Amino acid sequence: MEDSVLMILPFSLQRILRNLPDEIDAKLEEIRIRENRPLEVVYRGAYRFLTGQGRPVVQPSLAYRPTREDCVKLLELLTDHSVYSFEEQMRSGYITVQGGHRIGLAGRTAVENGKVKIFKEISGFNVRIAREVRGAGDAVLPYLLDLPSLQLHHTLIVSPPQQGKTTLVRDLARLISYGDLQLSSGGRMAGRKVGIVDERSEIAACIKGVPRFDLGPRTDVLDGCPKAEGMMMMVRSLSPEVIVADEIGRPEDAEAIREALHAGVRLIATAHGTGLEDLSRRPILRELIRERIFSRYVVLGGKFGAGTLEAVYDGMGRRLTADLCAVPAGGEPPC
Amino acid sequence: MSRRPQQIRRLIQALQRLETEISYGFTHLPDALDIIARQTAEPLAGIFREMAAGLAVMSGHSVKEVWQSAVIGGWKKTSMKDAEKEILLQIGFTLGLTGREDQVKHLRLGIRQLQAEEELAREEQQRYEKMWKSLGLLAGALVVILIY
Repeated sequence: MEDSVLMILPFSLQRILRNLPDEIDAKLEEIRIRENRPLEVVYRGAYRFLTGQGRPVVQPSLAYRPTREDCVKLLELLTDHSVYSFEEQMRSGYITVQGGHRIGLAGRTAVENGKVKIFKEISGFNVRIAREVRGAGDAVLPYLLDLPSLQLHHTLIVSPPQQGKTTLVRDLARLISYGDLQLSSGGRMAGRKVGIVDERSEIAACIKGVPRFDLGPRTDVLDGCPKAEGMMMMVRSLSPEVIVADEIGRPEDAEAIREALHAGVRLIATAHGTGLEDLSRRPILRELIRERIFSRYVVLGGKFGAGTLEAVYDGMGRRLTADLCAVPAGGEPPC
Repeated sequence: MSRRPQQIRRLIQALQRLETEISYGFTHLPDALDIIARQTAEPLAGIFREMAAGLAVMSGHSVKEVWQSAVIGGWKKTSMKDAEKEILLQIGFTLGLTGREDQVKHLRLGIRQLQAEEELAREEQQRYEKMWKSLGLLAGALVVILIY
């Protein structure tokens, strides 16, 4: 298990998780810590509970139950002893820690004027493990390039939560920034200036402003910056050729996107959804689709395993990848 | 004797800097304590340095534990008394565990209490100085009388 995950856990839980069998550790997606309830791990679609010795079991009755003290200590370690520094994130229900891991929070909230003010009691944590998968973008990037001009299509990556949007977009940023791609036409693509607006600190996992993941040599990151404002800031002063933004969907995001495109920037964005039809049911995204802002849609899904490429569509909704051809991220196409 | 009021003043200043780091800089506590240690004179600097080290990544200790151990351990090197120590220990109970508003409230309370102690300490110091002056005068008078 990675140090960046272990170091946010209190000793009692560290001890248990160090004993996690390698097969689970390698595919680990979530660690679920709930006060007085069985300790759970989720990996590649399966789940197990862990005993006090770290043994994975199916029966919850045999599992270790994190105590209140475990949870209090955990919150302190997650926030680096500085809860005040994470208030904004916590209001949105999560904390992103060093290493890019996002910890979802559950418990009792205090509400003011109909909005969440703070968490009064945090009794559940969902530790989502972030992984860098170099090569996740290899199979996808060729579809996103307009071959004669070598221009990047404005791309929207769509998937339900947990299906690899962020991992894919991270690798695409890296590939585009390095460039140096050997093209089937025989040419080489030059590296582009990439700007990432990392509102939730998940794409780059910056520590004190410096990305923890390899995003390429020509990449700038605005860490923890609201998307709409961030895109504008980037266009004004960082002269990006490509902007990457995660999880668009708010009215401000759409406005900022239109502005950025006027400035001649190419855009790669992600959105929650199960596919094009699902997107077109949502007001803001529906507008963007109708305006033909995007000329490429990449749909990821869990049908063949997390983060699998289901299809790539062009701006008119025409499918560009062969039917029923699932390309595992970073792997060989099976058909 | 004159060091106590001066050290209380320095402690107040350190806590005010901590308040600024927390409420304006959102600086993480371990870093904030490190910054303060570097901007404060000994022996206080040593106490803050120990706190920062105790909270270093992977140490797994809570702020409460580390704060207490550093304050109690380093107090002998200072000229301050129990009253100030208690106020400082009290701050360690909630530091880093709540939101900004609450943190600032607790720090300001501690600072106000320390300012009251500083007042008392200065008055005490003045009384002692007066006493020594008078004693010196009397001793001088005694010497003059003895000579004659």
